[in-house]
Amino acid sequence: MQKFRISFFFLLVLVASVPSHAASVFEGKTITVIVGYKPGGGYDRYARLIAKHLPKYIPGKPGVIVQNMPGASSVIAANHLFSVAKPDGLTFGTFNNATVVAQLIKVEGVRFDLAKFSWLGSAASDAVILTVRSDVPYRSAGDLRKAKQFVIGTTGPGSSTHDFPALLKEFAGFDFKLVPGYSSSADVMLAVERKEVDGRAGSFDSIKPFIDRGLVRPILRNRTTAPGIEKLPVDEDLATSQNGKIVMAVNAVPTQIYRPFVAPPATPKDVMKILRDAFANALKDKELLAEAEKGKMTIDYTSPEDALKVVAEVLSQSPDIVQELTKHIKFGD
Amino acid sequence: MKALVSSRFILSFAAACIAGYALYASLHWSFKTALFPRVIGIPLLMLALIEMALSIWGVEREREGHAVDFELTTTVEPALARKRTLVIFAWILGFLVLILAVGFPLAVPIFVFAYLRIAGREPLTLSIVLTLVSWIFIEGVFDRFLHIPFPDGWILGLWR
Amino acid sequence: MLDTFIQGLFAVFQWQTFLVMLLGIFLGFWVGLLPGLGGTTTLALMLPFIYKMSPVEAFAFLLGMHSVVSTTGDITSVLFGIPGEGTTAATILDGHAMAKKGEAGRALGAALMSSLIGALIGAFALALSIPIVRPLVLTFGAPELFMLAVVGVAFISSLSGEGGRALLRGILAGLLGLLFALVGQDPQAGVQRFTFGQLYLWNGLDLVPVLVGLFAIPEIVDLAVRGTSIAGELPQENLSKGVWTGVKDTFVHLGLTVRCSLVGTFIGIMPGLGGGVAQWIAYGHAVQSARDSEERTGFGRGDVRGVLGPGAANNSKEGGSLIPTIAFGVPGSSSMAILLGAFFLQGISPGPDMLDKHLVLTFSMVWTMVVANIITVAVSLFFLNYLAKLTLIRGPVLIPFVLFFSFIGAYTSNNHLGDLAVLLAFGFFGYLMIRCGWPRAPLVLGFVLGRIAENNFYISTIRYGSAWVGRPLVLMLISLTVIVLFFPLIRSKWQESTKGETQ
Repeated sequence: MQKFRISFFFLLVLVASVPSHAASVFEGKTITVIVGYKPGGGYDRYARLIAKHLPKYIPGKPGVIVQNMPGASSVIAANHLFSVAKPDGLTFGTFNNATVVAQLIKVEGVRFDLAKFSWLGSAASDAVILTVRSDVPYRSAGDLRKAKQFVIGTTGPGSSTHDFPALLKEFAGFDFKLVPGYSSSADVMLAVERKEVDGRAGSFDSIKPFIDRGLVRPILRNRTTAPGIEKLPVDEDLATSQNGKIVMAVNAVPTQIYRPFVAPPATPKDVMKILRDAFANALKDKELLAEAEKGKMTIDYTSPEDALKVVAEVLSQSPDIVQELTKHIKFGD
Repeated sequence: MKALVSSRFILSFAAACIAGYALYASLHWSFKTALFPRVIGIPLLMLALIEMALSIWGVEREREGHAVDFELTTTVEPALARKRTLVIFAWILGFLVLILAVGFPLAVPIFVFAYLRIAGREPLTLSIVLTLVSWIFIEGVFDRFLHIPFPDGWILGLWR
Repeated sequence: MLDTFIQGLFAVFQWQTFLVMLLGIFLGFWVGLLPGLGGTTTLALMLPFIYKMSPVEAFAFLLGMHSVVSTTGDITSVLFGIPGEGTTAATILDGHAMAKKGEAGRALGAALMSSLIGALIGAFALALSIPIVRPLVLTFGAPELFMLAVVGVAFISSLSGEGGRALLRGILAGLLGLLFALVGQDPQAGVQRFTFGQLYLWNGLDLVPVLVGLFAIPEIVDLAVRGTSIAGELPQENLSKGVWTGVKDTFVHLGLTVRCSLVGTFIGIMPGLGGGVAQWIAYGHAVQSARDSEERTGFGRGDVRGVLGPGAANNSKEGGSLIPTIAFGVPGSSSMAILLGAFFLQGISPGPDMLDKHLVLTFSMVWTMVVANIITVAVSLFFLNYLAKLTLIRGPVLIPFVLFFSFIGAYTSNNHLGDLAVLLAFGFFGYLMIRCGWPRAPLVLGFVLGRIAENNFYISTIRYGSAWVGRPLVLMLISLTVIVLFFPLIRSKWQESTKGETQ
């Protein structure tokens, strides 16, 4: 009986100490958030916003700092998080959501496996839309399909400004004339205003101010939706072949986890639980939401499990689809 | 023979090689991707070859060929100048090696101290003070305040 | 309009706004001065702090900081030959050369005063152009931007130096620069060009490591060889007198200063041309202003006009690049892109509203740039003398610090060791170029213009076929290119004929 009590006591102490062990991991320490882009860009702003409010939800209230590791459209940061960063819960990071496609089409230099990361989740999803200048006579997707050599400005293969219309051209019978080479998506917008090009695709969040201003009109979207554009036709529905539909889907699906946050693989489960909960709670935090609202940053939480499902869906494509994808999609910015 | 190893020849030869490589690489690309590299590479190659030839056989008049740029000091005698040049390049490379070995934050104070004492033969107190100043900058401003990521360096990487 | 203009001025002088502006100026002063602290990066880091401020305060802070960076960046360029920012490299050529002749004070005075004039002209251009800016920017499409890049490249003939051999080397340097600009992913097919499998090179070579390598490293080598202080063994002019000489120089050459400010403003207005271009074209123009070949060879060796031109242009372009940012929401440079984020944070959508509903804010931004620069220059003039004395420090003490700042300046481009590799590669290459009499300015010009030329060429051709060549502006720019290209020739022929006449 005595032995039982003693061992029970020890078991109790053991069980009680486990969460406090995990908690003590963060006490007095600093968490580093690695961003795959330079300061000021979208990924950086989300990281800094989260870094600001995360400590409230982590026992031990650690400091959180942001480090920028730009390069190769964030492949450098992803590689770093996969093999160099220590899996002790004190480092996590964010990078381009399209890296999952990069992994699928085996882009040279990719040395990570998104399925193996310890996911915190995604902070936002992003719809990709195609817009045309308001004075253009086409009002619907059906109309646009009849247009001949409709000029769309892009920043080059690898960006959503290019790939979305490129796939529409290839698989949905749109007669687009793609004009790549603009230095940024904002420059494409200027070209639209200048009547040098007539349409622009890209992230809904960044195009929204111009829709509100009345410069452009949205025509199509990808499968990810957002308030205001739910009724737009989806590109996949307009695909003329099954393959086309799948290729578009594979290209679109990562935008559901547009702002992914991951920790290095094999970060201990108990530590990950704290980080995951903190991440989810921070994204519900009133102050964070207020700041995000002011900065026009959508917050749209995806759980780590759902994020992994997205990753699995993309990575499980057949070799035929991968081949088809490689023909039309490049990885880049 | 001297002309062949003259720096003028080497530089123009390097330019020709760069042009040659660019043209070679462009063979694998589609027309659009290859156009500008070729439009730039072909004249580059031709002009580099001309400069190569001129550096061996041409005569350079006093005021000719002098660029809108500064010129290296001529007040120091050539042999000493060459030695000092090699030494400073060695230090510069050494700084890089030091950064690779122990990481930026440690490399800076070590380098500053080493240069001041060895190359500069500066007094000990001054060297220590200046080393501290440099350390405050790299550690205080760039590491702690700006959070610039500095990789660990080979030696520390092995140890951790 | 006029009363909104005055309103903007009063808005800046509200004590809260004025205070945050002073804070911004203080920050900007150090950011410009210290290599490694990039103006763009710091702007990004300051964004979280403006949440609680009103729009006028927020922009007084951010612009107060940003407009000062180009001014103090010139100081580091002149004194140590390190480009503190990517936009202040051209000042090194003559500014640092003057420092080496013991004329650091004069160079600093000239740099600061021309910066002030440039900033004023840029700010007022912003204010005055408000009615015409939209049609102006909308008229310049890809074909015109391509031709502007070509005009820029044509300046190589002026930046090369005297004689056929110099021109040959200048063209070689320019072509090399153009080629280096193509490293990275090509926007037409998404193919990686010249990247040798290195992830670091996917987005191309960054401007700052290339500039720091090309300019700072050879200066360090030369300093080590000389074994003296930067100012050398030459008799020291009274350094404080020197500063005022430099200030006066700005007014002696006022025409040049104003012209270069206008060039800078114009280039700033054109979105997509980027921040590095204006100073080099201004420098090329300054060289062109030399009256004869004798004077022209003085450039690169300490002609004060080589400081005035870039000094003015790199400040005026700030006012210029605000214009497309405010009027269209299209950033004229990478720092403007950050500023755009600030607009959204404040809940403002840049666009026609800024010239209409938010006009007071726009004018307050103009006044911020004016006031911030006046304050900075006035304050700096006081201790320029002490700064100039830094050129008297022994070489061996200075060298490790100059090297440290060169390395960290390059490294903070991408926080990647590749930055250091680029630094050293271009450092060595720059040294060789100087040894062999190859001018470096054309290389930089080719490097900053290469992508702009290629991208806009393809946009023009794909969009317009061959019809773009016939556009009126394009034809004008083609003639301008020819003039710029043959300018040295035209000038010497004209001088010969006038000499003949007087005989």
